[in-house]
Amino acid sequence: MIEALGEGLFLVLHWKPLAFMMLGVALGFWVGLLPGLGGATTLALMLPFIYAMQPVEAFAFLLGMHAVVATTGDITSVLFGVPGEAASAATILDGHAMAKKGEAGRALGAALASSLVGAIVGAFALAIAIPIVRPLVLTFGSPELFMLAIVGIAFIASLSAPGVRGMVRGFLSGGLGLLCATVGQDPQAGIARYTFDSLYLWGGLDLVPVLVGIFAIPEIIDLAIRRTSIAGKLPAGRVSKGALEGVKDTFRHFWLTIRCSLIGTFIGIMPGMGGAVAQWMAYGHATQSARTAEERKGFGAGDVRGVLGPGAANNSKEGGSLIPTVAFGVPGSTAMAILLGGFFLLGLVPGPDMLTKHLPITFSMVWTIVIANVVTVIACFLFLDHLARVTTIRGTVLIPVILVLIFIGSYTSNNHYGDILLTLVFGAVGYLMVVAGWPRAPFVLGLVLGKIAENYLYISVARYDAAWLTRPVVLVLIAITLAVIFWPLVQRRRKAAHA
Amino acid sequence: MHSHASLALALGVMAVSGYAVIAAWFWPWKAALFPLAIGIPLFVLSAAEAAWVLFGKAERSEVQDFQLTRDVAEREVVRRSATTAAWIVGFFAAIVLFGFPVAVPFFVFLYLKQQADEGWIFSTVFTAAVWAFFYGLFDRLLHLPFPAGWAFTWIS
Repeated sequence: MIEALGEGLFLVLHWKPLAFMMLGVALGFWVGLLPGLGGATTLALMLPFIYAMQPVEAFAFLLGMHAVVATTGDITSVLFGVPGEAASAATILDGHAMAKKGEAGRALGAALASSLVGAIVGAFALAIAIPIVRPLVLTFGSPELFMLAIVGIAFIASLSAPGVRGMVRGFLSGGLGLLCATVGQDPQAGIARYTFDSLYLWGGLDLVPVLVGIFAIPEIIDLAIRRTSIAGKLPAGRVSKGALEGVKDTFRHFWLTIRCSLIGTFIGIMPGMGGAVAQWMAYGHATQSARTAEERKGFGAGDVRGVLGPGAANNSKEGGSLIPTVAFGVPGSTAMAILLGGFFLLGLVPGPDMLTKHLPITFSMVWTIVIANVVTVIACFLFLDHLARVTTIRGTVLIPVILVLIFIGSYTSNNHYGDILLTLVFGAVGYLMVVAGWPRAPFVLGLVLGKIAENYLYISVARYDAAWLTRPVVLVLIAITLAVIFWPLVQRRRKAAHA
Repeated sequence: MHSHASLALALGVMAVSGYAVIAAWFWPWKAALFPLAIGIPLFVLSAAEAAWVLFGKAERSEVQDFQLTRDVAEREVVRRSATTAAWIVGFFAAIVLFGFPVAVPFFVFLYLKQQADEGWIFSTVFTAAVWAFFYGLFDRLLHLPFPAGWAFTWIS
């Protein structure tokens, strides 16, 4: 294990993976700063570029980019009260309030330092989880792996929108993803399914054009609707002033930062919860940690603890959400679902192989998270004043550039105009989903897991008939699926009864 | 607007899953197992969602996902969305007709001038920069094959 850990570090420190990581960090840096661009969207946009890369290089690039998005997203939240990322929204409450009080530097210092602590805790959790989950994963056969896919979709579908209505929409979205995964030649009988005599569709719906369309097109349209410069006016004065005080705050409230990091890691592990939940739970915990009512009053008005909690949690969740993604192929978030697509593009299958044959690659991910965050935090401190100016780029100038990237990104999947058409069709579907309040994460998960779920289901039925349903682990997983579906309904009924 | 969109989606999913089930009905079980296992519940759920929109309360579920801006009037949102969609489709048409190498600078320049109201100098310099990035990275460095476009093929 220690050997693999060391090997993982050496893999990342080779010049090529390191160069790709730095490129990813640089991209993630800007994406986090710009409110119009989401981390998951950029991850989807960058997927086509990993085809020619080795797995370590590709993960260094993608994870390096994704790991820093939440870190720099906090900068926009603090300075402008506009979340750079959905996962940075909670930082606004106290971070922006501090900025208004002239303590922007201190708030940024606290956000960046707590982000670094959070990232290290999350990566450490991923590293120590590997020996624990490995024996568990190795005992899983096709029936258990099929049920795990179902549990993942049930989790993400039931948690991505509240209430019965939200759950129905979540399952609709997940089901649509699963159905889309059946397009193409069926691997068992060789039947061409839903191809409409088009040769292009025989290979199935390519992940990249679909993901690019469903995530990037709605954001482009929104950017065009807003017609604003991305973040408005820059606050006067040097924001780097007082940043060191914020770093000291992180260590003054060190245990709060660690506890919030652990909350983030735990929520990251739970599929479907996502960073948006992690930051608010951490913020809630930070508020609860205030001993007196007087102390609690400061929250929302510029208490540094309100910055430390979300800052730590939204970075530690990345390590956490990689645990189920790598070990079981069940992504912990939308971004992880897209990253899962990256696994398949590179010919890697999440699960036992990632914990045995490809263990050094798994550990290289741990190191990527740590190194990328250290580099980002150092760069942020060095260029804090200049960075703040980036958020004034006009949205109308960004749109043509992003559209060029979208179209080239999807076209290069198969060098076929059908790829772009697919992006446009799923862009329209994605936009409708956003307008209608249907969560997109279950769709992605369904699409990504569809092919392997079908394969596992076929093997289970062919090998065990209906007896696969009576295997102990399968029964436990069925019980979990039912609990995931019905627990929110029970809770809702209880709440209604209390009210 | 969200209930109209939800109804459109629900009806769309009903049509897609209904077709998927009918088509799968005639396949061998190996090929039909999964599409049927997914298609039937999907049809039922989408019918439930459509009925919910038509006959239920127009409640909005706060989804944990990207949210569109709500600061702009609905009519303006529809107008700007349609304009952006037209630009996107237009860009696609330009790519198919003239190929990427011509469509990219053409689209960037036209968008900056027409939609973003940028000046001539900025539009020209910015287009040149995007073109240099596109040509340098995708053509010279990555050697990606971009076809010439249908218009040029017809002419030649």
